[in-house]
Amino acid sequence: MEALRNRPLFTEVFASPSEFRPRDDSAYIYGLFEERSEHINSWSGTTSNVQAIKVTNQESTVVQTDVPGWETLSLRSSSSIEAFLSSLSAKQIYLDITGLNHHVWAPLVKVAIERRISLKVVYVEPLDYTPNASPRKGEIFDLSERISGISPIPLFTSLAEVEEDNLCFIPLLGFEGARLRYMLEEVEPPGRKIVPIIGVPGFRLEYPFHAYLGNQPVLEETEVWKNSRYARANCPFSLFYVLEDVLKDYPSEHVKIAPIGTKPHALGAVLLAIAAQSRSVELVYDHPKRKPKRTSGVLRLLQYSVSDFFP
Amino acid sequence: MIDSEREPVERLTELFGNYRAEWLRERIFDLFTQPSYFPDLETKTPCVLVGGRGTGKTTVLRSLSYEGRYALSDKDVALIPSWDYFGFYYRVDTNRVTAFQGPELTEKTWTKLFGHYINILLCSQVLKFLNWYSLLLPDSQTLSSSACEKVALSLCIPAAQTVTDLIEKVDLGRIRFESFLNNLDENHLPRISLQGAPIDELLNEIAALPQFEAKHFFFLIDEFENFTDAQQVVMNTLIKHCGEHHSFKIGVRELGWRKHATANPNEQLNSPADYVKIDIAERLTLARFQEMAAQICNQRLLQSNIFDGSGPKTVEELLPSLTLDEEARLLGLNRAAIISEIANIDAAVFDTMPDLEIFFCLQWAKWNESSIHEVLNERSRDPKKWTDRYSNYKHALIFTIRRGKSGIRKYYTGWRTFVQLSGSNIRYLLELVHRALVLHREAGHSLGTPVSFADQTVAAQQVGMKNIAELEGLSVQGAQLTKLVLGLGRVFQVLAYHPEGHAPEQNQFALADKGLPKGDIIDLINAAVMHLALVRTAGTKLASDEDIKAYDYSLHPIFAPFFVFSYRKKRKLNLSAGQLLGLINDSKATIRDILSSVSEPDAPLPEQLRLFEGYYGSVA
Repeated sequence: MEALRNRPLFTEVFASPSEFRPRDDSAYIYGLFEERSEHINSWSGTTSNVQAIKVTNQESTVVQTDVPGWETLSLRSSSSIEAFLSSLSAKQIYLDITGLNHHVWAPLVKVAIERRISLKVVYVEPLDYTPNASPRKGEIFDLSERISGISPIPLFTSLAEVEEDNLCFIPLLGFEGARLRYMLEEVEPPGRKIVPIIGVPGFRLEYPFHAYLGNQPVLEETEVWKNSRYARANCPFSLFYVLEDVLKDYPSEHVKIAPIGTKPHALGAVLLAIAAQSRSVELVYDHPKRKPKRTSGVLRLLQYSVSDFFP
Repeated sequence: MIDSEREPVERLTELFGNYRAEWLRERIFDLFTQPSYFPDLETKTPCVLVGGRGTGKTTVLRSLSYEGRYALSDKDVALIPSWDYFGFYYRVDTNRVTAFQGPELTEKTWTKLFGHYINILLCSQVLKFLNWYSLLLPDSQTLSSSACEKVALSLCIPAAQTVTDLIEKVDLGRIRFESFLNNLDENHLPRISLQGAPIDELLNEIAALPQFEAKHFFFLIDEFENFTDAQQVVMNTLIKHCGEHHSFKIGVRELGWRKHATANPNEQLNSPADYVKIDIAERLTLARFQEMAAQICNQRLLQSNIFDGSGPKTVEELLPSLTLDEEARLLGLNRAAIISEIANIDAAVFDTMPDLEIFFCLQWAKWNESSIHEVLNERSRDPKKWTDRYSNYKHALIFTIRRGKSGIRKYYTGWRTFVQLSGSNIRYLLELVHRALVLHREAGHSLGTPVSFADQTVAAQQVGMKNIAELEGLSVQGAQLTKLVLGLGRVFQVLAYHPEGHAPEQNQFALADKGLPKGDIIDLINAAVMHLALVRTAGTKLASDEDIKAYDYSLHPIFAPFFVFSYRKKRKLNLSAGQLLGLINDSKATIRDILSSVSEPDAPLPEQLRLFEGYYGSVA
């Protein structure tokens, strides 16, 4: 494994969202679908030349924004996204993924990186997750109402033909064991080529244990806990490097990554999918409908310089 | 062969624990047992193989594929030219097919795009097969350049001269198409091939090659339920109008084939005119399944090499059973103790009665608030009526013997019982056998000796619990299905615990509402049947798939040991749609409501259910 000094991280950490301010002449894209995203209200009146772009509806792959001329934006059209981002005329674009679903922020990241638009991704960690009122084994937190089912994340559709034995499956574990189980049921990977990744260190000290407990039944039955790898839960770049290492261990396999863990990890998976030019990498996502008030409070704000990560 | 150096439990797990087809991979064909309906799949007629998860659909379809047949024939190349058919296996990938929907394009456009994708996919499979064939049999004739050109033209891809070139061009076409899906523009659609045309073109050319004269080709489509409704219509059109050289064999879950029309809404696929339906549950009667399952298990036991010196045992020998009377005694029914409870009766009266019948006399008196004398008089007065009554209640009585006591309240033992608990599902059966043998070994016993009744029962409980936990991950409605099973399980458990005051062995239900059921209850029941939370049996009328009221429903028998009720399909409750939905949305109140007719609508939770104490709001 390559030494850490050769694997730089492009994260700036703010102890609290109140310490963060976007630079002047920038655009800030966000959605207020999570309470944690509301930190924008604390600075939106105090900055000059920061265009705030709010995603007002993210129910489908055609989202709505409050930008005149871009009331609707098709996320399955890379040309449209490019035109949208270019129209912002900002020296720096911030994309706050805290309150946005994966199917919204991932295509924006992809186009920004591929078109070399300067992009920083912002994420606010939660202080607490809402515990389950009647927890059973493998169900500690009460996070999702239901899942919508597997469908491609926009701009990450893959039609690759995959030999059944030639598949490596990498689930990025969260707390919800049912989601991992659903993924395994749908993807049907070969038993020996499943490599789960757990967020260690977690946002909080005890969270990795919750991740293990939440997924324990499935990890035990399949025995894939033996293949587990670890990456800092709030760092997409750490996750990216771990994924690179896994890809080296499975050099000829088609790789399917399920970003069902933390959002920073999902971002890391998206970055790898963008970077993997000659490798066959696919994202598989179940699109959960999140429960309102599934988290409470805020911890740190992290700013990821994803454009600098791709020189 | 299994490595004999490995621990016996490891060897067992290798053969029994890896019960999913996809985990066995290359070993799947080492352990393949041909089911009785297999010859029906080998005819040229399109077939629809209907069965739940774990019934063997994937294994059977893969065994029909050319790769599968090659493995099953011990990779004997010389046999290949003698095959009558060649099958191409494809498992519908949800992450692919769901790309062909969305608000960006009209449904008509999506249908055309999907049709083109299927053309590319199926042609690609056939070309891969041609490549495989020519590598193994290099002297065989290949497609001419003119044939390759025609296929390329039909697929709307650049011209190709050879099969290798054609494979490359198809692949590029697929990648280009993928790029379009990642940059949708209704005004700049790619060139799209005509639905089905390239497949017919390619197979016509192949069938003209001498080595494929009089051969037939099957497209083996597994998990058909993963197609969207509109996509099923496209596939139906291909099935109905397939060319003379090929046909389709579909694997689908019960209720998973939602649309039977073709692109012409007035044209439906009907059985047997357009296809042969093979319903695995119907074709495999209990006796046939038992025989096939015994073969499968005994083959694996032999291969596992776990019997130390005492010689191989069959699964029937390893899983002994109890008669009802033996079970009653094992549960603590003590003849002397029962008789001593009965005052002022000559004990000789009971001389010819089995223990369980004496117990029933006592219980019947208690339930009906009458005296034991009256019960015995009734028994003498009308012996036939009494015999019928006893026969109806005999099994239900077992559940009451250990009322108020901890530990096992009901034994689930014997190979035949395991077969019934599995509901003719080979995956469940392998789980049960595996779990029982592992527990037996962990208790320090030799694997050549029969598994104890207690270990068999605990194994059955654990497998039931595991499958409840798995339900949540099976579908988008997983959480709802789990709650439905937990609710119904508790209801049937309490009814079994208190057989007095209602018909014995009430462990089924029918929908009681008048009028047409609403969409949400139809969706729930259909999902429950599809994912084996519930099993359904046709009621007295001729039942169509759409009419959910025409069926009686029971929890899958695999859950019976976990909740402790009878797995035998006996008597039913009437439940309303509101009550069923209430079991999901407000379980505690609804369970109380359903059980309100029972004199004591509560019962201590069995130990294995204590995990759900918070959910039920009940204290053991």
